[in-house]
Amino acid sequence: MKNSTNKFSKSNAFDIFNIFFMIILIILMVYPFWHIVMYSISDVRLAMRGGLFLWPRGFSLETYRVVLKNPVVLSGFRVSVIVTVIGTAFATFFTATTAYPLSKKRMRGRTFFSLYVLFTMLFNGGMIPTYLLVKSLGLIDTLWALILPNAIHAWNIFVMRNFFATIPESLEESARIDGASDLLIFFKIILPLSKAVLATIGLFLAVGYWNDFFSTILYIQSRNKWALQAVLREIVTNTEMAMSRQGMSAVHRQTITTQSVIMANIVIVTVPIILVYPFVQKYFVKGVMIGSVKG
Amino acid sequence: MKSLQRGQLKIANIIQDNGVLKGRGNIGRDIKRDKYLYLLLLPGIICLFIFRYIPMYGVVIAFKEYNIFAGIANSPWVGFLQFERLFRNPEFSRILRNTILISAYKLLWGFPAPIILALLLNELKNQRFKKFTQTVLYLPHFISWVIFAGIIVTFLNPTTGVINDIISYFGGRKIDFLANKRMFRSILVITDLYKGVGWGTIVYLAAISNIDPTLYEAAIVDGANRFRQVWHITLPSIRSVVVILLILSLGNILNAGFEQIFLLYNPLVYEVADIIDTFVYRRGLVESNYSLGAAAGLFKNVVALILIWSANHIVKSFGEDGLW
Repeated sequence: MKNSTNKFSKSNAFDIFNIFFMIILIILMVYPFWHIVMYSISDVRLAMRGGLFLWPRGFSLETYRVVLKNPVVLSGFRVSVIVTVIGTAFATFFTATTAYPLSKKRMRGRTFFSLYVLFTMLFNGGMIPTYLLVKSLGLIDTLWALILPNAIHAWNIFVMRNFFATIPESLEESARIDGASDLLIFFKIILPLSKAVLATIGLFLAVGYWNDFFSTILYIQSRNKWALQAVLREIVTNTEMAMSRQGMSAVHRQTITTQSVIMANIVIVTVPIILVYPFVQKYFVKGVMIGSVKG
Repeated sequence: MKSLQRGQLKIANIIQDNGVLKGRGNIGRDIKRDKYLYLLLLPGIICLFIFRYIPMYGVVIAFKEYNIFAGIANSPWVGFLQFERLFRNPEFSRILRNTILISAYKLLWGFPAPIILALLLNELKNQRFKKFTQTVLYLPHFISWVIFAGIIVTFLNPTTGVINDIISYFGGRKIDFLANKRMFRSILVITDLYKGVGWGTIVYLAAISNIDPTLYEAAIVDGANRFRQVWHITLPSIRSVVVILLILSLGNILNAGFEQIFLLYNPLVYEVADIIDTFVYRRGLVESNYSLGAAAGLFKNVVALILIWSANHIVKSFGEDGLW
């Protein structure tokens, strides 16, 4: 009897430690973003004192006013929205159309096509041959260069394929008896049943497009076609130069600092993801589990 | 159930299905019957051909002296000259060492951490708290490296950064972290862990949720405490997932994290931070040594292919399921 109460309290101590540990992790994960938001809306002269931020010191949106007037930030926002929306729609759709036939065991050449897709995961040409390809296709300095090279990924195809394979064949059989073609079955039966995995892959693709800065560095020259992340990167790595480019005069310097500019830009770039994230989160957990695990 | 778990993440499942040939008609009739399936498949196949297979052909410039005006096909062949140049380049041993070291450190910390975190998350009894924790822990995965670089740069700023404020508060001397050769790699490892650890748990949690609950019930009857349950049931049950992810990580050992390093490094720390990918970008692309850069990239990709193949082979010889 004594033994069992002892065990109970030990187990209880572990639970308390575990919850405590998780709370610390949560604080570690959330605080940097909190700090940046609070800093960015603080009065700059008070913020410059440094230290930890729990609440804004004073209140000023001056930095945002200046940053949002910056034409490169605005065009970057527009480019990133366009690329993310078109790219995600395009890539999700064609990932699904590629994955569906690969889930059909009766299709001849399925093994060949699966290997064809798999091999792109094991080996790739690398940065320079891909760059030369995009260049020879004439896509340099067009938004297509930000969309097409990253559109179709083997991994996404396999996750979707695994999901499609779990849909009972009998659903299709009855439609086929009624005379429906594979095309009709795919659009009218399979896609509506696959919302979870489409949302998952769509989210991954959207995040990939939204977060991509390197394609801009590789393929885009005109500054009005830069993606937002590339704009942010320039500001982060080279604030002094970026500030002068953004036309910030010495007058501004007293009310905003390089730090506050970086912070405000980070907030602007992060907010769209934070806003969308809670709504799609439940889908992707489900989708990842169905797609990659129960394959 | 067991076989289902063992097949988790198994890419090769896609390929192996014995006995499918049974009951098929002749080829022409089958293709005609499935014509719409091929139609659906076509755009993806073309897209992969253009953006993945043509660059694979493009690596031939690693054996040529690429000339922009002549193009890939008409540039002269030079055999292994580019590779000789690469291996003789004094920077080469540096980028190879940095790539492997940074990757190995990341693997050493970043591989076990999500497993431990998943086990701890699994022990949380309050489901709402567990869900909330997971939601927060997954978030950094969706935040770009550019934003993280911004956060890291501001937090580690030598004069105004929070970390230095804390150090000086406790009487320490302020440190210029991102220009410090001794600390740079640690910063890479820590920030990589920070960004990836939560997301890394998702696969393990999925595998844990597939474990047959009767196993735990039986263990409780036998008097096993929670630690023993984890040791004797949970860990063995997720072993195959662990093995497969380990193979994938080993195949990725030459990917030390291009975006992260590219955004954070600077000439002061090239000595400890320059990796193959940043070398390819800087020397190959920016300085237009396309052939040399392609050779470095090809070297990396071939080694990666050999590594993943060997890891798979070794794992299979220990009686585990491999990737294929």
